[in-house]
Amino acid sequence: MKLEINDMLFRVEKPARYLGNELNSFHKEVNDHTIRYAFSFPDVYEIGMSHLGMQILYHLLNKEEDVYCERVFAPAVDMEEEMRKNNIPLFALESREPVKSFDFLGFTLQYELSYTNILNMLQLAGIPVLSEARGEEYPIVMVGGPCAYNPEPIADFVDMVILGEAEEVILEVIKLYREMKAKDFNKRRFFERAASIDGVYIPSLYEVSYKADGTIEAISPINDKAPQKVTKRIISNLDESFYPEEIIVPYLNIVHDRVMLEIFRGCTRGCRFCQAGMIYRPIREKSVDRLAELTGKLLASTGYEEISLASLSTSDYSKLNEIVRHLIDEYEKDRVGVSLPSLRLDNFTFELIQEIQKVRKTGLTFAPEAGSQRLRDVINKGLTEADLINAVDKAFNLGWSTVKLYFMISLPTETFEDLDGIQDLANKVVDEYYKVDKENRGKGLTVTVSASTFVPKPFTPFQWEPQNNLETIYEKQKYLVGKLKRKGITFNYHDAKTSYLEAVFARGDRRLSKVLVQALNEGCKFDGWQEHFNFNKWMSIFEATGVDPDFYTARQRSYDEVLPWDHIDVGVTKDFLIRESEKAQKAELTRDCRTNCSGCGINQGFLGGIC
Amino acid sequence: MNRLRSRFYKKDDLVFISHLDLVRVFERAMRRGNIPISYTQGFNPHPIMAFATALGIGVSSEGEYIDIQLDERLSPEDFMQKLNSVLPEGLKIMQSAYIPSSEDSLMSLIKRSIYIVKGQVNVNVDRAELEDKIQEFLSLDEIIEIKEKKKKHKNDKPKFQETNIREGIYQFDILSYDNYDIIFKMNLAAGSEKNLKPEVVIKKLAEITKLPINLESVRVHRLELLKEQMGDLVSIMEGVKSI
Repeated sequence: MKLEINDMLFRVEKPARYLGNELNSFHKEVNDHTIRYAFSFPDVYEIGMSHLGMQILYHLLNKEEDVYCERVFAPAVDMEEEMRKNNIPLFALESREPVKSFDFLGFTLQYELSYTNILNMLQLAGIPVLSEARGEEYPIVMVGGPCAYNPEPIADFVDMVILGEAEEVILEVIKLYREMKAKDFNKRRFFERAASIDGVYIPSLYEVSYKADGTIEAISPINDKAPQKVTKRIISNLDESFYPEEIIVPYLNIVHDRVMLEIFRGCTRGCRFCQAGMIYRPIREKSVDRLAELTGKLLASTGYEEISLASLSTSDYSKLNEIVRHLIDEYEKDRVGVSLPSLRLDNFTFELIQEIQKVRKTGLTFAPEAGSQRLRDVINKGLTEADLINAVDKAFNLGWSTVKLYFMISLPTETFEDLDGIQDLANKVVDEYYKVDKENRGKGLTVTVSASTFVPKPFTPFQWEPQNNLETIYEKQKYLVGKLKRKGITFNYHDAKTSYLEAVFARGDRRLSKVLVQALNEGCKFDGWQEHFNFNKWMSIFEATGVDPDFYTARQRSYDEVLPWDHIDVGVTKDFLIRESEKAQKAELTRDCRTNCSGCGINQGFLGGIC
Repeated sequence: MNRLRSRFYKKDDLVFISHLDLVRVFERAMRRGNIPISYTQGFNPHPIMAFATALGIGVSSEGEYIDIQLDERLSPEDFMQKLNSVLPEGLKIMQSAYIPSSEDSLMSLIKRSIYIVKGQVNVNVDRAELEDKIQEFLSLDEIIEIKEKKKKHKNDKPKFQETNIREGIYQFDILSYDNYDIIFKMNLAAGSEKNLKPEVVIKKLAEITKLPINLESVRVHRLELLKEQMGDLVSIMEGVKSI
């Protein structure tokens, strides 16, 4: 039954968020055999629509004739109010039908602070939030994405977790569902059988026991169908794997409003703070031919005026020069701009950048991450001051005058001397600018220094590290504010309280589910949004539920502690992470694994042999 | 120079997209339809196109206009066919013709806008009373709308501007009235000199005459935009012959 929302659309902000009829969206006839899948992004439309994974899976699923995949986003606060007032449940955009009657509700977990939105969306849909309370009549709630590698804080709310790259495994799950649905379906049997599919984790088939000190005793399967360790899935050949040839083009200006062309997966740099660099291993590239083919089709089907090469570290693509040249030669006449995010400055290809500037001018961003060489060695960011200075020198000589520098504060072992390094680097960048002749340099120097707060993440060499407490972080931020008062420098820093909450959930366990239920009851949502985030409320919720958040953030864990995600296997071994953690303490670098295998373990079992 | 002037409609779900969204829809449709649109020079090349007005979110229209400059000449029929095949449902080019490069911009041409406005009264009023109230409203010399001016800085004190909107109302009729539903027709000032939105007229009507109109129920549709030609007010496409 299609819900009547037209009148509501006249009353809400940005009603185009809820239309569902954008270019290249699917509108299918539904019959008794249709498997209905709601791809759900627990944030507003503009954020969710910028997510490449959604575009891939949406089109992949809709290629299946009997599967109808639609999109669901968190309605903005004004829309939610309207929906609640008018008894409109959460609906899928394309059909405007309630998701409550769907077969699957699949949430992507991009950041921890979206967990309350997931619960809120379930509630808005009229679906019980706890997995055990959902009978056969309710959809199967599935999650995937980077935070799914430690899904324990939300384990009680979800039925299935997809670990790793979903293109193959999701079709295997759907196939099993289709087969069982044709006979005598029941959820319990379905979950038991799905548990034997590689990359599928069924939280309800595991039990967690705790020690007296609150740490985990063991995580054990309670069903013989459930494996001891659940392994993540990867796609072995990206050229042969599905990639959409058309993507949905929104009406609204979304965060990433362009064709996103994924050039490779994985990263070989091994930065020790970076979860993506560990969990997305091994490195796999797409060929230039395949990229060229996709580009042609995507530009023709969308009409986009910009294409962005997507990956964790664009300049590490081995044929970057070739693909950029191709894009320029082929599409410059059509004024298609090329943007290269995530460029590293140590192999910064200025010629290439200059080529791109011929078409469209883009900003320059560098991410030294830490201010001193010592600390950059600790985090294995193999980058020197000379690299940065050479790069900005070139950039200023070419007429740039806007530079962004990204740093992280409160990294393990950080002292105030390291913070002085941030000031030092920013000053040197400004000095470089003034060294260029007035006639040759761009006008109006702006050096934006941004400092985010380090959040220790699972499956990184820093997974055992404590996070700085809030007082220390404030002190460091204040210190930097004082240090970065020079003309030409703008200093931004992130709210430390959200980083604190993020740290709780990043390395959290199942005991946090009662905190989330309480947060839902008290109306917490959009916690990643400054204007909605209420730290004091969160603190009182922790207190009321008897959960100490510092247990998750402030503790130095020992290597032999059972971690909440120890039953999940991402291919990178714990031994490797310990080795890296030890090297970090000694500020020893690990080389890029393209030049020297660092023995992380990913090539044992997943691909077998070389990366 | 190949300057093409077109009339289009915007209706159904597409009324919910903003003017900026509409600009993007057109830009991308031009690309998908392989229409040889001209681009501005410089670092950030933009397709050369200009609209008559920015239609508010929620307003439908069958009297929207756009000027587009092309690098190559297509026949207007060919252009319309190509573009319409890639425009979303709810947007459609209805008429196109080449205009001289000396022709004034759409924005500077328009003088009036004709609207159909639907609304509901909360309690039933009889027709005669309704007519009387409107006459009473129109007989006023001054109808002052107070508008907050845009702040230059966030912390500026709010500034208000008073406008006599009576001068912008040229025609205001009831087309039908049936069972709480009223349909009005309005001819209002439009363009850069004077511009009046029908929602404001209805709001003022309710405020001054105490007619129990439910302001949330108001729906606006633009029928036509008019320009001045030899002292007459005529449709924008009037007198435009393909050159």
